[in-house]
Amino acid sequence: MNPYLPFKAGITGIRRETGDVRTFRLELKNGLPSGAPGQFNMVGYPGVGEVPISFSLLPSKDSPLFEHTVRAVGRVTDFLAGFGEGDEIFLRGPFGRGWPVNEVKGKHLVLISGGLGLAPVRPVIQMADQLNAKRITLLHGARDPESILFETELKEWRKKGIDVKLTVDEPGEGWRFHAGIITEIIRPLKIEAAETLAFICGPEIMMRFSARELFLKNVPRSNVHVSIERRMRCGTGLCGHCQHGIWFVCKDGPVFSYQELSGYPDALL
Amino acid sequence: MTGENVFQKNYEVLICKELFAGWVEGLRDDFKLIGPVGDGVNAEFREIASLKEANLDYQSTMLPPGKAYLFKPLEEIVLFNAGPGGVAAEEPPIPVQKQVLIGVHACDTHAVFYLDKVFLGAFTDPFYKARRENTFIISLNCKTVTDLCFCHLIGTGPYLKAQSGYDMLLTDMGGEFLVELKSERSKNLFNVKGRPPEAGDWQKKDEMETRLLKSFKKDFKADGLRQVFLSRPGHPVLKETAEERCLSCANCVMVCPTCFCHDVYDETDLSLTRIKRMRRWDACQDYFFAQVHGGNFRSERQARLRQFVFHKLDYEGQFGLKGTVGCGRCIRWCPTGIDLTEIAEEMMK
Repeated sequence: MNPYLPFKAGITGIRRETGDVRTFRLELKNGLPSGAPGQFNMVGYPGVGEVPISFSLLPSKDSPLFEHTVRAVGRVTDFLAGFGEGDEIFLRGPFGRGWPVNEVKGKHLVLISGGLGLAPVRPVIQMADQLNAKRITLLHGARDPESILFETELKEWRKKGIDVKLTVDEPGEGWRFHAGIITEIIRPLKIEAAETLAFICGPEIMMRFSARELFLKNVPRSNVHVSIERRMRCGTGLCGHCQHGIWFVCKDGPVFSYQELSGYPDALL
Repeated sequence: MTGENVFQKNYEVLICKELFAGWVEGLRDDFKLIGPVGDGVNAEFREIASLKEANLDYQSTMLPPGKAYLFKPLEEIVLFNAGPGGVAAEEPPIPVQKQVLIGVHACDTHAVFYLDKVFLGAFTDPFYKARRENTFIISLNCKTVTDLCFCHLIGTGPYLKAQSGYDMLLTDMGGEFLVELKSERSKNLFNVKGRPPEAGDWQKKDEMETRLLKSFKKDFKADGLRQVFLSRPGHPVLKETAEERCLSCANCVMVCPTCFCHDVYDETDLSLTRIKRMRRWDACQDYFFAQVHGGNFRSERQARLRQFVFHKLDYEGQFGLKGTVGCGRCIRWCPTGIDLTEIAEEMMK
């Protein structure tokens, strides 16, 4: 089969998250959707191009629909921003290795996200009930209260028993939570280092310092997982753009343990 | 043991060069013949009508035969038709042309093995796969080496030791070729009766190889680079070479027989109804290669040069093979003569 041949997906709904971030609810025209938390699709349109976008919601036994949350920042994503309900987009996937959700059982799962980094983490939260984690903590940082993604779902996540802690760089009036950078809400966290598994997604510099906070708490490098971003053209480990050290981020990642990434140049990690 | 010898004898023959040329010409009905034309290091693999046009004493080519004829520089990978009913995707036709690559040196044959790992690995590229299956590779042991060759340090030459992955191996024995058949299809296709090689012939082959091995000029320690690379990624030699000599022209990447990186982009025709998704060779030396929204992981020239050097000499864990085959092309075609082995040597000091 030609791995470059894209599928058509219909847009069944669009939610405006913040100014330039939209969540597209999608339905595949042919074939059954699949995917694992942390995996991504190459999303795009003929004549414009394709970009790698992580699942922000996976199809489940209740619904075949899935979601991609996209910020309009370039040629392809700007083009996608012009789409409406009922339109069709093209995608290929699912690609890559996702979060190691099988290792969560019996552990304290610490999810740390920055800005749009909450989107690839959301499928983990979606399946929180099935993970058998001892405890789940979500630490999320955003620029300001308005740019917190999935705000309406936070209450629901708390009801599931997830300890949600928020921080923003620029608090407005009426902000009840922490103000400051993400490391400031990681530091006071009480954890048992060996029993902790962390999934981190956000800007690379934020992942670096979040991971360091955990290392200071003696969490082993192999227990800290990050989802990294690189330029991708094919998603299948052929085009070579996403190479980082010996890894092809598209097929070996995008999720890596800190252990696996250590020592390679050209990263902020 | 005796039985084995008899069995093998059928697949190793000495035949005179004219007979071999005649056999090659007979392949023209079914295959496109591609061979080295031109002299020295400036030869070029191109379509030929007969072996008379080819120069099997050539030393090197600018473009490597494997990459040039298996992984095309520019190629359609998806076609889209936009009509009133929407946009439909279709697969471009899979290449069916059969071809013979004649006179592929050991290094370039190993480079094909590397490309196989890339394009026939976790995901199969249908275009590469079809071309690979339709390509009959006749490899050739080198007669001379150039100043820039270092295949002997990598284990990829000058004599080809691999037993599979290609079809036929030639050794120039003077008036005759020693022909070794390495694939089932070559055993079916090669029907020329020749003299079975004797102990003396094998000895002659060994002696020629030993003599050739002594003529290499390049020498550097390829082992133990890994630790040095990872512990000193910011070594001054990289910075100095990048800032004072590297032009980021990407010649090194274009002529490299194992460089597989390519860009994917869309071309829409003027009627706005036909869209071609194309792939085109790309290079890590290009400024935009590692750019994403909000940053560029290799915005510094030093980082791009390092990516090339490390990918070729280290990062073996990627496919289980070294990224270099020691052909020396990147050194030869660098306008400022940057030599990755010199960089490695400097780092090892």
